[in-house]
Amino acid sequence: MSNIIEIKNVTKEFKVLNRREGLRGSLKDLFSRDYRIVRAVDNISMSIRQGEIIGYLGPNGAGKSTTIKMMTGILEPTSGEILVGGNVPYKDRTKNAQEIGVVFGQRSQLWWALPLIESFKILKDIYGVSDEDYNSMIALYKSLVDIEPLLHKPVRQMSLGQRTLSDILAAFLHNPKIVFLDEPTIGLDVSMKSRIRTLIHELNQVKNTTVILTTHDMGDVDALCQRIVIIDKGKMLYDNDMEHLKGFFGSYRTLKIRMNGDLKQLAGTIQRELPDFSVSADDEWISILVDEERSKVMEVLNQLQRSYEIRDMQLEEISTEEVIKKIYEEGVQ
Amino acid sequence: MNLKKYITLTRAGMIESLQFRLGTLVIIAGNLLYLIVVYFLWKAIYASAGTDTVNGMTFSDTLIYLVLATALFNFMEMYIVWEMGRSIQSGKIALDLLKPMEYRRYMFWSYSGSFVTQFFFTFLPTFIVVAAVTQGAIHLGFNLLFFVISVVMAVSINYSIDFLVGTICLYTESIWGINIMKQVIVTLLSGATIPIAFFPEPLKTIVYFLPFQSIYNAPLSILLEGHPQPLALLATLGLQLFWCITMTILSRLFWKASLRQITVNGG
Repeated sequence: MSNIIEIKNVTKEFKVLNRREGLRGSLKDLFSRDYRIVRAVDNISMSIRQGEIIGYLGPNGAGKSTTIKMMTGILEPTSGEILVGGNVPYKDRTKNAQEIGVVFGQRSQLWWALPLIESFKILKDIYGVSDEDYNSMIALYKSLVDIEPLLHKPVRQMSLGQRTLSDILAAFLHNPKIVFLDEPTIGLDVSMKSRIRTLIHELNQVKNTTVILTTHDMGDVDALCQRIVIIDKGKMLYDNDMEHLKGFFGSYRTLKIRMNGDLKQLAGTIQRELPDFSVSADDEWISILVDEERSKVMEVLNQLQRSYEIRDMQLEEISTEEVIKKIYEEGVQ
Repeated sequence: MNLKKYITLTRAGMIESLQFRLGTLVIIAGNLLYLIVVYFLWKAIYASAGTDTVNGMTFSDTLIYLVLATALFNFMEMYIVWEMGRSIQSGKIALDLLKPMEYRRYMFWSYSGSFVTQFFFTFLPTFIVVAAVTQGAIHLGFNLLFFVISVVMAVSINYSIDFLVGTICLYTESIWGINIMKQVIVTLLSGATIPIAFFPEPLKTIVYFLPFQSIYNAPLSILLEGHPQPLALLATLGLQLFWCITMTILSRLFWKASLRQITVNGG
């Protein structure tokens, strides 16, 4: 099967004015030609198949949004090639727009003062969706989520969760081949997050829509993504499926112990004793990320037992969150 | 089918503008105040002139002109510069650019709904009141038809100018000053605040070579001239058509070039 998105050696550079400090500096800046080149995306390549859900991850400022803007056609790559559904996005932006749906974080594409159903009708006409397709889509929505109470509510009166839900439904309305979701679960409560994850999953299954998801919430990744792509400082760090990712750090396990006393302080002392491993503390547990290739968890535990009184312990396989954290901090060797 | 996607935006705009009842009332109240000021200002001007006609216009001519100009202004003013500037600053423009429709058209049709409501809620009532009160000062004949044609072109020219100035916000990322400057230039040079007949000779000549007078002066002069010379009428409409086409092309080209700028250098 052919790839819906094809990205080849894409680089994006921005020209940024070097700003000076203070009033005098700001005045000088008015006439300054002192630019520097910032490389936001550096030689990225990937292919995405129809129907995949891709988690596109990276720390803040890694270049995720820039890549997405290039895929949607808002930005033109400095070099390299992007094909989205056979279109070159920045050249055929309007045509490309017909094939994609977007949800950009906390910004809404809905008509603020109008009830949701009106926004849906406008989008239906703008995208030229037939009555038949529209009705079946609305029927599908009704079967997936309880939208009946939302339909006649003006968007400005909605809670953040309801609005995000509505925005996601709006993005899928014209049955696009690809939907870009930029941090869709940001700021939402646990139950809304899970409703939105289920919704995205179901729509992906039923419509075979390709979903490109950027998020900082590993819960989203665990629930939805088969494959993840990680970038940092514009460079691609990782592109593979989830299983493989855990395999990378298979030798890591988290040892959690409970002790009497101030855990934060104790964690600091233990960190000094075990400089090879990262030690952290929360309200209940001290967590030690142990690399089993260096020393076994049992040895670490023995060593600790000699000097501390351990009340309770747990052993955990490494979570996605920790894997990603490690990749952000250290990269993939 | 193709027209449907534009009409739906008009419809949405109409529903949207009808949501803000209080806003409409405030605008009407503000206009009344403005007109009262205008009334006394021009009364004073005519009193100090000591003659009944100044620059070929009587006091009531001037007043009718200004009342209708104000009504027309309320109907045509679109705040496009403001809207574009804000969506550029907030980044919302990214979402608008991703509609399967050209941005310039998308903005126009999104706004068109408020034309319709403003026409019925401010212009038409004002027109009827003026026509009824002055009894015969406004000729009701073929000139109404030409007036409508003229207004349609005026709307188009006004939109192009707004869009052109709005595009500048892509570069400056500030809105307020630019918007004020545009507003002052357009309202003054178009004859929306002072009838062009009152301008000094050299300025009058300059104004006739600028697009602004096609926005307010042209349709109003057609409306108020009961029995126009066909040649003069044709000249006014022809000039409007010229500006209509020129400004559309200019604003399109400028937008296209500027859009390249943001797609290359980020937004």
